[in-house]
Amino acid sequence: MNCEEYREAIGADPHFDGGAGHVSECAACQEYRREMLALDAKIKSALAITVPELELPSLDEIAANSDSAENVVALDSRRGIPTRAWFAIAATVLLAAFIGIRYIGIDNSSYQSLAEEVLAHSKHEPGAFEPSDKKVADDQLYQVVPSNIAELDHSTGLITYAETCPISGNEVPHLIIQGERGPITIMLLPDEKISEAIPLDDENSHGVILPVGDGSIAIIGSRDEKLEEVQKQFVQSVMWDT
Amino acid sequence: MQSSNADLDRRKRFEQIVGVFHQDMYRYAAWLCRDKAIAEDVVQESMLRAWKSLEALRDDSAAKPWLLTIVRRENARYFERKRLETVDIDNLTASQAALLAEEPDDDLGDMRAAIYELDDDYREPLVLQVLMGYSTNEIADQMGLKQGAVLTRLHRARAKLKDVMQEQAIQ
Repeated sequence: MNCEEYREAIGADPHFDGGAGHVSECAACQEYRREMLALDAKIKSALAITVPELELPSLDEIAANSDSAENVVALDSRRGIPTRAWFAIAATVLLAAFIGIRYIGIDNSSYQSLAEEVLAHSKHEPGAFEPSDKKVADDQLYQVVPSNIAELDHSTGLITYAETCPISGNEVPHLIIQGERGPITIMLLPDEKISEAIPLDDENSHGVILPVGDGSIAIIGSRDEKLEEVQKQFVQSVMWDT
Repeated sequence: MQSSNADLDRRKRFEQIVGVFHQDMYRYAAWLCRDKAIAEDVVQESMLRAWKSLEALRDDSAAKPWLLTIVRRENARYFERKRLETVDIDNLTASQAALLAEEPDDDLGDMRAAIYELDDDYREPLVLQVLMGYSTNEIADQMGLKQGAVLTRLHRARAKLKDVMQEQAIQ
């Protein structure tokens, strides 16, 4: 072991006990070790922040709801919502439903291209922008994505939304999975054959429609989301001829 | 009667585990998210998760890594939900600044600020090693890294802290 190797080892762990032969004959490395041990003591003191009196969760309350282990949500989202707010939410949902029907259900013939339609549809879908940690039920997932379309499970990513949606006159699986930077929209388009990848881009999001055999897959995420791994997983999962 | 005894045993077991490790849970969470208020939320959520999946912990001697893994996941979930922006040390919220404000010793305060500014990739293995007593193998498991990557990160983290502290000393 030479000085460089020894210092790398000590830098990674000042309590490293190898290299005894070297350090016993190297005064500089002995000094370096002392420095690193002193530094570590200081790091340890700095990391040991004061711990406040934590409010432990009430076990009575938890026990009363112990069947819903999968439904633990953030504390702030469990706070009560005032009645007036419920009415506002209901009105918003109705308005969103109206807009969705108006723009997606009826008026899809007005889109100039598949890319335009896919991008517009992704913007109007509920859950497209809200991060979630609640996975969609397996039954729902398999109903929306039958095994002849793709073989999916939650190992592909946390799938939080799965519905059948109209794109170019066909009912197609529309999924939302949770990426590192937020929700990622996936549309499986087994009947949309394209000759080359079509980039999707707007102010807040980016993505691509990828040619996959006789069909294609649309993937859209926020601008800073890396989509390559998701693309790879979904391309591998499709069951139509590739 | 049997059922209520089982409930009582379960509670005792949980309270013992949490009683021993809640400080580690909080400190780990605080250094992951660098915000005291968020750390408290993350720890509370982690405790709920731990309570509900207590049966998954077969061996109480493994409670510490089990709890810290839950904290790590809860922290990630919290940030997925909130989509919080990265922290600028010159523009901290009160809750973020509280993590740095409590140190009366200038030297330790400087060290704490230097750790605060380390990249997440370097800060987390350092916390696990120095504060939690993890071996490099255990850090690799916890973070899903190869041991070589952990060694490199730890070496770089210390080198960075050493440089910062030397600069502070010169100033």
